[in-house]
Amino acid sequence: MSSVRVAVDIGGTFTDIVVLDSVDGTTKVEKVLSTPDDLSRGIFEGLEQALPSNASIEFFVHGTTAGLNAFLERKGAHAALITTLGFRDVYEIARANRPDMYNLFYRKPTPLIRRRHIFELKERMLYNGEVLTDIDDDALIELAKKIAEGDYDSVAVCLLHSYVNPDHELRVGEALLEHAPGVSVSLSHQVAREWREYERTSTTALNAYVAPIVVNYLSQLEKKAQSSGMQSGVHIMQSNGGIMTSAAARERPVQTLFSGPVGGTMGGMSLQSQLEQDHLLCIDMGGTSFDVSLIVDGSADLTLETELEGFTVLAPVVNMHTIGAGGGSVAWLEAGGLRVGPQSAGARPGPACYGQGGTDPTVTDANLVLGRIPEKFLSGDMRLDLAAAQGSLVDLSKSLGLSSEALAEGIVDIVNAKMANAIRALTVERGIDPRQFTVVAYGGAGPLHAVFLAKELSIPTVVVPYAPGTFSAWGMLHTDIKHDFVRSFFYKVAETSAEAVETVLGELISEGSETLLGEGVSNERMRFRRTADVRYVGQEYFLNIELPDSIDETSFASLPEKFHDAYLTRYGHSNPEESIEFVNLRVSAVGELPRHTEDSSGKPKSRQASPRTTRQVIFEGNAVESGVYDRSDLKPGDRFDGPAIVEELSCTTVVPPLVEALVDAYGNIVIRVGSNQE
Amino acid sequence: MSTDPITMEIVRNGLNAIAEEMNANLARSAFSPIIYEMKDCSVAIFNEDCDLLGQAPGLPIFLGALAPAVRAVKEHFSKSGIQEGDIYALNDPYLVGSHLNDVTVVSPVFIDDELVGFTANKAHWLDMGSKDAGVSVDTTEVYQEGLRFGPIRLYDKGEAQDDILDILARNSRLPLSILGDLHAQVAACRSGERRYQEFLSAFGLDMVRECTKEIFRQAEASDRAFVKSIPDGVYSAEGYMDSDGSDEEPVKIAVEVTIRDTEMHLDLSGSSLQRKGCTNCGIAQTISAAQLAYKFIVNPEQTPNGGNFRALSVTAPEGTIFAAQEPAACDFYASPSGLMIELTLKALSEAIVGRIPAGGPHDQMNFIVAGRDENGTLFITGEASAVGWGALPDADGPNATVCYMAGDLKNLPAEVEEAKFPLRVNCRTLEEDSGGAGRFRGGLAMIKEYEAVAPGVSLLLWLERTVTPGWGVAGGKDGQTARCIWDLGGTEERTMTKANHFALPVGKAIRCHTAGGGGYGPPWERDIQGIIDDVLDGYVTRQAAEVEYGVRWGEGRMIVDEHATKEARSTLAKSYS
Repeated sequence: MSSVRVAVDIGGTFTDIVVLDSVDGTTKVEKVLSTPDDLSRGIFEGLEQALPSNASIEFFVHGTTAGLNAFLERKGAHAALITTLGFRDVYEIARANRPDMYNLFYRKPTPLIRRRHIFELKERMLYNGEVLTDIDDDALIELAKKIAEGDYDSVAVCLLHSYVNPDHELRVGEALLEHAPGVSVSLSHQVAREWREYERTSTTALNAYVAPIVVNYLSQLEKKAQSSGMQSGVHIMQSNGGIMTSAAARERPVQTLFSGPVGGTMGGMSLQSQLEQDHLLCIDMGGTSFDVSLIVDGSADLTLETELEGFTVLAPVVNMHTIGAGGGSVAWLEAGGLRVGPQSAGARPGPACYGQGGTDPTVTDANLVLGRIPEKFLSGDMRLDLAAAQGSLVDLSKSLGLSSEALAEGIVDIVNAKMANAIRALTVERGIDPRQFTVVAYGGAGPLHAVFLAKELSIPTVVVPYAPGTFSAWGMLHTDIKHDFVRSFFYKVAETSAEAVETVLGELISEGSETLLGEGVSNERMRFRRTADVRYVGQEYFLNIELPDSIDETSFASLPEKFHDAYLTRYGHSNPEESIEFVNLRVSAVGELPRHTEDSSGKPKSRQASPRTTRQVIFEGNAVESGVYDRSDLKPGDRFDGPAIVEELSCTTVVPPLVEALVDAYGNIVIRVGSNQE
Repeated sequence: MSTDPITMEIVRNGLNAIAEEMNANLARSAFSPIIYEMKDCSVAIFNEDCDLLGQAPGLPIFLGALAPAVRAVKEHFSKSGIQEGDIYALNDPYLVGSHLNDVTVVSPVFIDDELVGFTANKAHWLDMGSKDAGVSVDTTEVYQEGLRFGPIRLYDKGEAQDDILDILARNSRLPLSILGDLHAQVAACRSGERRYQEFLSAFGLDMVRECTKEIFRQAEASDRAFVKSIPDGVYSAEGYMDSDGSDEEPVKIAVEVTIRDTEMHLDLSGSSLQRKGCTNCGIAQTISAAQLAYKFIVNPEQTPNGGNFRALSVTAPEGTIFAAQEPAACDFYASPSGLMIELTLKALSEAIVGRIPAGGPHDQMNFIVAGRDENGTLFITGEASAVGWGALPDADGPNATVCYMAGDLKNLPAEVEEAKFPLRVNCRTLEEDSGGAGRFRGGLAMIKEYEAVAPGVSLLLWLERTVTPGWGVAGGKDGQTARCIWDLGGTEERTMTKANHFALPVGKAIRCHTAGGGGYGPPWERDIQGIIDDVLDGYVTRQAAEVEYGVRWGEGRMIVDEHATKEARSTLAKSYS
């Protein structure tokens, strides 16, 4: 039996498994119900269905929600926090702002660690790393013992200016190891070595809060994998778009938080060569939310700071813009005006057409009334209740004086326009032109709406990959090992040297190669991407600028020019006379994994595809006879014209009139939307 | 195409998206942290009648501040001709409200030579050439507060008027900073102009006009429906600011709210005559603040547009602090605005019982530090002070959060403050027992202590609520008042409330306590577990739990003697009735 590579993505309802045969490159997809009581059970049940023996697995990667769920359900560890004397309340006060402007009843997010569990230590570091007040060893031991007596599972330590000089935090870590053995310790300079005490505290507290849960989950998973006969280790998807070994993940729990949704973006990454396009807009629409992420110039667009229910997380994360627009989004009336979302019918009761007692009209109900999704799918047992969907629209259509078909199309148009605005927020608002991109649509509802979004934004091409319902898992199979390292480096560019920058980068690279070696990556498979956060002197926001593999005097001297150019592109103006300064130096250490190289045997022969059947679908107010295709019938080279519907397991693609589609050599459906520019 | 509800909703979302896009443009290209980090700005788009089409959330107090500026521009330049490519600017507080540091930039939008609207934004400039760097607490005439300009033409048909830019630059201590911010404001206006033009050509001008008419009608209808649900009547409240910065006299603010059917009228006639100190508001400022008070109550979750606020009218006689006339000083306009907003809410709490929080110290307080850094460059830094909010009818007030007017304004991390400026922060903590006791407790005040580590640093201090606390409601107690202690434990120890550029010698610390929020409901009705939690978390001391809440401790650290507590609480209740 041949060897296989396996990816598993756990969602709220389903656990998706993708099996890639390493020899012949064929892919198999399995969807089993998730098992919320013990998530790993679902994995091994699914594997049993998908494979005769786990011994054939040569590579296993997993997007885990263990950490995120513990956070979302507030079932994290019993944790304590240690701060510098005088700064106990940094965590609760946060930045004192309230994003919810006109709400008199605003409440701050409840801290994950209550004030009674926050301890102050008399010590003080200055901004330049000098010690103002040394730690008193007796006081430290006393504090460590207090922690031991306090029955804590986990401790976060965040001392002022530790990002410059971590000595005091390291000493606290040692004391805890000695006097409070068994307690998980998160030191802020190891979790997020960046300035700003609230942001670092928040990230460290979150890490401490989920660490014991993530560690426990991963240890269990590793054990089960081993006893199930799996020879390969376990790899985990990280929020930064790379993977790491399970052992490394146990050291960096906070990096696993957005493990799941990032898989889709990585899927986009691996489609680049097939599509010959390095600007991709990845859109994932499910039941309750719409997530957009970008691939720009061949790299996933990352953000270095993000927010989770009001808590700041300092960690490189794939930049994901999310709005409350999904199949379950509810249409409603406000002062005679029609609104859609952000409220959602969720999984229960769900849209009216699910027949689970829902009565509110949703986007899915509207799509069903329009004929864009079927009452009964070509394959599978799923049935939708058209009468219930129509019934849900009655009240609204009466109030607005619209036919139920016109209302249904209106609901879809409104949600499409909202999603287009969300895409603008991630592109146009940041000086990026969406028209240079190709849309990759996946998730249950992505391919249903993608062409309309592309039209709205004048994007010429939409791609629906093979098995869009399990695309996130598929993406994880095509990802490299990656770790990010950062060091604050506050120097004006004119007042430091190539040598000084090289020294720090060299340190970061040796940390990186040590970590990669520990994960079994050989030297020749290591790559290091070196960047610097640079800004105008006195400004707060910086740009992340790529640095060459080695910096000499010449390349160092050209840095300002590189910065001014990047600034001009991003903001539309720059000040070449202004001096610039470094903020952080960064290294991404990548360990390339061997992978199956897909070869398409040249250009497939073009052929007109024939639909299984036809049905009436409403486009712009007219019912049009549309071809209905089964995805499994479509072969490379097949062409078909809109209006058409493509059905497959848990996903439907809509191709409106006057739009052409073809199946490329890799099985992707490529839809030519055309654009205003043509 | 007719104005169907679907197109209307798409247009409504689209107009707000344009404003959001302008806002992002402003934030990412601004020079000063006060704009891109603290978001001391506001951005909006208007139709040709100066009605609000779309707005991005900025400082709440700037909610209604842009419309009067756009109106002033239109009125002023209509005669000489408004042309495509023009950019206008103004900061006259009697015309547009707030103070001279807030500069509004306006750009007209044309389609085929027809004026179809305006884009506008307002942002805080760090120094306008006032008598002291940044702002002063003791100005008595607007002329001391810096350069003042009515609507001026900054760009003429796309050409920058370099003479005017030169005057602006030469009158500021920070010319690079203000020009950098001005360029960002102009770029934001221009980007909005382009997007609005594209939007109009996509949907058609007539269609957008029809849609906005209906969008305004809907907004007005839902506002009026809400106002109608408030019982008719006349509701009033009054209060006092500590002082106007020039002397120690309290400043009276009186609010009378009349609800009649679908109309709300706010009469401020009983408020103080305009003052010698800098706590005066131009009428535009007063209307903007009144709109914010109204917005807190009437449909706060809806994005504002030109149809809102039609149910609201405001009276403020000329020559009072709420319709101040030249040469009244306006630097600290925000404090009377904030207190007026709170008093409006207080007045209405009689009418909409259970839907207004207890009093919090929502008139602005500032600690601003200025000096020269090691290179001799002037720096001005400050932060929005976090205060304890009043308790809610069903929950404790938030601890240490910026006031109602400041919204998303952020404080400054100590690590940033120490790395950039010659300052050391000794602590930033919550002040225990500073929240008013109640069934629901007022939020806690914040303490920040800091000192200069190099010579030449000075402090501007503006505290309010050192006399009048955040008030308790329905039997709840008042919150702790604010104060500042200079040289704590040293030879020069004293309490301060307002100080204009007070020199901070190296090594002497200043400790600032903001104020706490009022409690809601009688303290003896507070859930015992809630009090135990407060004591465990150090929000309330054991002693205060006894005195304020009538808790009687039993044997053991956190054991309550239930019987004794019941008795003590009924005694407390009787002593109040």
